[in-house]
Amino acid sequence: MNITFHAPAARTRATTGSHKQSKQYAVDQDMEVDGEQDGDAEGTAFKDPTLHVVTPGEVITADTAFMRGHGTYILDEKVHASVAGVVDRVNKLLSVRPLHTRYTGEIGDVVVGRITEVAQKRWKVDVSARQDAILMLSSVNLPGGVQRRKQESDELQMRNFFMEGDLVVAEVQAFFGDGAYSLHTRSLKYGKLRNGSFISVSPALVQRCKSHFHSLPCGVDVILGLNGYIWVSAHVPQNLDEIDTELVYSNKNKEDITPNDRESIARVASCIRALAQEFIFINDTIISFAYEASLQYKLREMTKKEIMQAVAAEAVQSVNNMKG
Amino acid sequence: MPGLISPAERDYILKGIECNIRADGRQRPDYREVILETGVVSQTSGSARVRIAGGSDVLVSVKAEIGSPSASQQFEGRGADDLNNELTQMMSRFLHHTKTTFTTPSSSSSQGSAGAGASTTAGSSSSTGGINLSKLCIIPGQQCWILYIDALVLDYGGNLMDAILMGTRAAIFDTQIPKTEVQDLGDGQFEFEVLDDAEDTDIVEGREDMPICVTLNKVGARHIVDASPLEELCTEAKLVVAVNRSGELCGLQKGNDGGIEPSLLLEMIQFGKTMGQTLIKQLDLKIKEEADSDLAKRQRGEPIQKLGFFAQ
Repeated sequence: MNITFHAPAARTRATTGSHKQSKQYAVDQDMEVDGEQDGDAEGTAFKDPTLHVVTPGEVITADTAFMRGHGTYILDEKVHASVAGVVDRVNKLLSVRPLHTRYTGEIGDVVVGRITEVAQKRWKVDVSARQDAILMLSSVNLPGGVQRRKQESDELQMRNFFMEGDLVVAEVQAFFGDGAYSLHTRSLKYGKLRNGSFISVSPALVQRCKSHFHSLPCGVDVILGLNGYIWVSAHVPQNLDEIDTELVYSNKNKEDITPNDRESIARVASCIRALAQEFIFINDTIISFAYEASLQYKLREMTKKEIMQAVAAEAVQSVNNMKG
Repeated sequence: MPGLISPAERDYILKGIECNIRADGRQRPDYREVILETGVVSQTSGSARVRIAGGSDVLVSVKAEIGSPSASQQFEGRGADDLNNELTQMMSRFLHHTKTTFTTPSSSSSQGSAGAGASTTAGSSSSTGGINLSKLCIIPGQQCWILYIDALVLDYGGNLMDAILMGTRAAIFDTQIPKTEVQDLGDGQFEFEVLDDAEDTDIVEGREDMPICVTLNKVGARHIVDASPLEELCTEAKLVVAVNRSGELCGLQKGNDGGIEPSLLLEMIQFGKTMGQTLIKQLDLKIKEEADSDLAKRQRGEPIQKLGFFAQ
């Protein structure tokens, strides 16, 4: 039995070394700001004077000299915010960087998604974007790696491939006219996910890099979906020639996941959550460092906020040391 | 996104619970951290915001208003989707002895029944725990304080019921009811005045006996507390055990489709009771700690600053 109660902590800006943004968000003092600037001294403890936070519909400026950027709109010749976030100004261009954002994909992105619907010749996939992505029946491999046109019989057994709720890793192949993403799983790297657990972080924290499939030294595989969905699983030898193509669509986890594997997976997952909580970019290097930093704590304590903060801080420190 | 889970995930979570390593590293009887703050809504008589690290976020408020007592419970339910109904029924059952009914997110009332009839209600409630309603009476049979308790669910991350009841207890502890002065005008006529001295107020009598609940989720042959959304999807049967500080069972509700074997049921109830008592103890310590620090600040004349929605 284990429970702790805490008082809330005030929000502070992350000052964690390598990821500290060098950019200034300072709002020009000359700029005419219509937003309410309440000057009560008591509230200043929560306010950061360098940030200009706006809510949707709020007037950012009535000055017509400014141009309208992302996250803004013009009404009655005034620039309004269309999202909640911080005002970002580059010369005369005003934009609002949203506090919470959805995934905006590009062709070639590796994403992790959850099947939400089985439809005519396609699956709908939740990828934490503005609308569900679409995985066409013609964009998946058949079990056994048979190469042929999809027939009506394949259409009838679509649920044997992917069912509602299944997690898949796929690649963004194209965009539809309405902006929805078309995915494909035509590679043995992609397909159904097994043997592990799922974490969702902000899409802004996963950056595009060479590979999104990682095997960590601690014997855990991680798939970093660019949409912020992350899959942490037990290590499966990735020799593409030896993969049993018949089992691509299997729902069965492998039998030999030991308690040690489970602990490692849970630990890696907790580390990723810790990094996400501190708004630190997530990649394989920092996950490994966070994992090492976390080894001094008991696994069941990894849900504690202070420990998560300590682990994240130590991981950032290690990355900085490595960079010299 | 709750609602969907893949068979592989379900299997992984199931086996993980079997060997006592949950997906986030906790063991079966572990709660996540709870973040609690009282007095966050200044327009209310008492309020609390409870967050369970990683998701669930509940705001509970208590508003004391003057009204006339009625024999039956007043019930004004708005919004009637399934969740609301489930919560409403469950909570009204648990808090029956306190004569408090709940709707989420709309409101309902706890009436200080007055007059001769009140003594029986009060009598039964004092034996089972809960708020002493006769103390809420202003003019017997005519005027009383009504406590409206609203719970607003701001975010979902599993284990809502526990969060709501913890919040309710904290909000009731935070509640200050203004004192009243009754004048007897003769021939059964009364008049009263509400004193608006913010320093001199009444607390809700019997608040220590408010129950809280522990939700036990039966997964496989085992049961866990404080389930995450994915774990809730794997739950075969859910048992909500409401207990007060002396470990008395105040309510029991079974949810989901699965069954619970009689022997396991007894074990779960027993576990829920001990767990609930510990929970209340910890919760009360936290509430007291915050109340004490607020009091100390007030005495020193410092402003009391609540983080409210500026909190992380």
